[in-house]
Amino acid sequence: MTKFKVKPIKTIDYDKPAIEKGYAGQTLCIDVSIAAIFIKPVTDKIKTVFTGGKGFDLWLLWHAVSGTTKWNDPENAICIASGPMGGTPIYPGSGKSIVTTISPLTGSVIDSNVGGYFGPYLKFSGFDAIEVKGKASTDVVIFIDGINAKVQLLEAVGLPEESYDLSAILTEYFGQGKPRNISVVSTGPGAKNTLIGCLNFTWYDLKRKRARYKQAGRGGIGTVLADKRIKAIVARWDTITIDTNHPADVAALKEVGRRHSREIVELDPKQNQMATIGTTHLVTIMNDFDLLPVNNFQYGRHPEAANIGQEVYGRIFDAGFDGCWMGCSVACSHGVKDFVPITGPYKGSKVFVDGPEYETIAGCGSNLGIFDPHTIIEMNFYCDTYGLDTISVGTSMAFAMECFEMSLINKTHTGGIDLSFGNRLAALEMLHQMATGEGFGRTVGQGVRKMKSIFSKDYGADPDILHDIGMEAKGLEFSEYMTKESLAQQGGYGLALKGPQHDEAWLIFLDMVHNFMPTFEQKAEALHWFPMFRTWFGLCGLCKLPWNDIVPEDNKNTPEPAKVMKHVQWYAEYFSAVTGRQTTPDDLIRMSEAVYNFQRIFNLKMGFGRREHDTIPYRAVGPVKAVEYESRRERYDKQLVEQHKVDIEGKSTAEKIALLRQFREGLYEKLKDAVYKRRGWTPNGIPTVATVKRLGIDFQEVLELLKAHGVEE
Amino acid sequence: MIRVNGKPHPWREGITVAVLLEDLEGAHHYAVVRINDKHISKPHFEKTPIPDDSDVFLLPMIAGG
Repeated sequence: MTKFKVKPIKTIDYDKPAIEKGYAGQTLCIDVSIAAIFIKPVTDKIKTVFTGGKGFDLWLLWHAVSGTTKWNDPENAICIASGPMGGTPIYPGSGKSIVTTISPLTGSVIDSNVGGYFGPYLKFSGFDAIEVKGKASTDVVIFIDGINAKVQLLEAVGLPEESYDLSAILTEYFGQGKPRNISVVSTGPGAKNTLIGCLNFTWYDLKRKRARYKQAGRGGIGTVLADKRIKAIVARWDTITIDTNHPADVAALKEVGRRHSREIVELDPKQNQMATIGTTHLVTIMNDFDLLPVNNFQYGRHPEAANIGQEVYGRIFDAGFDGCWMGCSVACSHGVKDFVPITGPYKGSKVFVDGPEYETIAGCGSNLGIFDPHTIIEMNFYCDTYGLDTISVGTSMAFAMECFEMSLINKTHTGGIDLSFGNRLAALEMLHQMATGEGFGRTVGQGVRKMKSIFSKDYGADPDILHDIGMEAKGLEFSEYMTKESLAQQGGYGLALKGPQHDEAWLIFLDMVHNFMPTFEQKAEALHWFPMFRTWFGLCGLCKLPWNDIVPEDNKNTPEPAKVMKHVQWYAEYFSAVTGRQTTPDDLIRMSEAVYNFQRIFNLKMGFGRREHDTIPYRAVGPVKAVEYESRRERYDKQLVEQHKVDIEGKSTAEKIALLRQFREGLYEKLKDAVYKRRGWTPNGIPTVATVKRLGIDFQEVLELLKAHGVEE
Repeated sequence: MIRVNGKPHPWREGITVAVLLEDLEGAHHYAVVRINDKHISKPHFEKTPIPDDSDVFLLPMIAGG
């Protein structure tokens, strides 16, 4: 057992408010620079306009930072919230937290949606959200004890660096014999030595008797936590029942919750089998449709993909209930028991690994040319324990590998390491270097955007090719789907507020496979409705998986099967039952629109949020290199001839690439026009005054900001 | 005999996924099916035979992410 000491720096006792219709009605603010702890009320207007979750986070963050705040300035805050439905045990997927901060990768707002028990425990302790700012002079732990109505800022000495060990120790220490009462938010050593640190949120697994992990992975939030010298934020709460949230209509809540839960139990075994294989089913399906990223998104398919698919991981996963929220019937958070790493500080030891999920398999596997399931598990384990985002690790490393293979960088830059695609030991070595901040791993850990600058300025690499193959937008690394053949998904990534993450819009199948949206207007409509509805889950403390990963058997006969409107109606009933606000499906979209537009304007405040910032690298749009074009020549030739009426006779591959690029980039710009119009934005991608007034976010500061950018009535 | 989403369906020699979907009303839009524990995607429908006594599941559109 590691010897450690915690010593109170500041303690407050507070009057715990009664939770009323899903809200605590107040937020907690902690400034670790000056050891201040205070409580702020949540007004009815804020509840009405921002709903909760990410909406509350953004409101707190907006007031914490100025337009010139950098990620490592003390005033930058990490905000974590649940939402009005967060903490409902009867409804699947109701334990999510959402985290926001100013990102070290993008310089603007990042948000990340994560499972585990923290958000509900925080709310039931009396706080709809927590806002942590400042920079501590020593390592600290924040302890929110909802059972004793006490908040403490503690000086911490001797706690371990690695996140798994840290969570286990803090769970035991604060749990006082009841570890399930504890949820820990922490990061690891990689977070302070890179810009891609993640947060690990725990939920206690009673069967396996251990703290399990889910990650708020994107955008370097763990790096911000480490920079503040916060070792962990711990929440403690007791038993949760359906009444803990004090819903407005318990009977209606029970009815809709049981309906949805029963349907999942009945249909999941017939559909995606989330409860047994999680999201791993996507690997071979993506591969079959040429959508699985291979070798830095050059290709979408590989003959060895089945080696890292669901049949393999289905056998490796430790069987049992894997719900990251109490009683969730989706229960998709699978893990690997008694895994023995072959490298690093845990080499030869038996460890438990939470994952891998699809994104990790594709990011740390196929996109690196690695098709060994055990290497991916080891990458997964070390990313988590070092506090690193598996997606940014994968996409950053893939970029470095392609640069190495193209001789844009060489062994003098990599410290002698052969960074060829498929070199699994080199990939693991890079990961260990990221954790210690040593060697070339330190460079890779800065993310793709900074690497592009370093490789061109310091190593003399061609900036144009780096820009074309560096898979980042807004500074954030792409998540793991190929978008070359889906214009709608190019928009799904490029127009996403925080950068190219699939949680706003995942339209590849609807667009490319089902061809549900052939026109620009239909694509624009999809790029309005889907981001809005997906945003709504983050306002309410919910997971989106129960919405459309398991669907009603008669869904295919409905007018808009992609929207799964039966479930949308259930969510409206769920919201009404908890909050008492009678709600329709259209109301859910309107709630999200307010928060979504506010976040777009927040980007504007931080110096971004305009049309130019919605640019994506050409690798996301079409083939950059001759080898990519030639690998799918029939497809591209056909498009040039049939869609663009080009006579390709006698044209070289380079000429055809240039022509295709001209057409495809033109289409993307046209898509931007259609989406901005549908969203009520100017052609420069800024919400109009009429839009902000319609949504009730016409605050004085907002109107002044719009005016400063030439947007007036 | 095979079972499609739990319901019995007659099996015949050489039946492929593509043929099965033609047999079924309103099944043309399915892009992925599962035969027992194996996922089969649309590009492989025509060449994938369905063994007798299989459980076939028609997977709704893939939700992703």
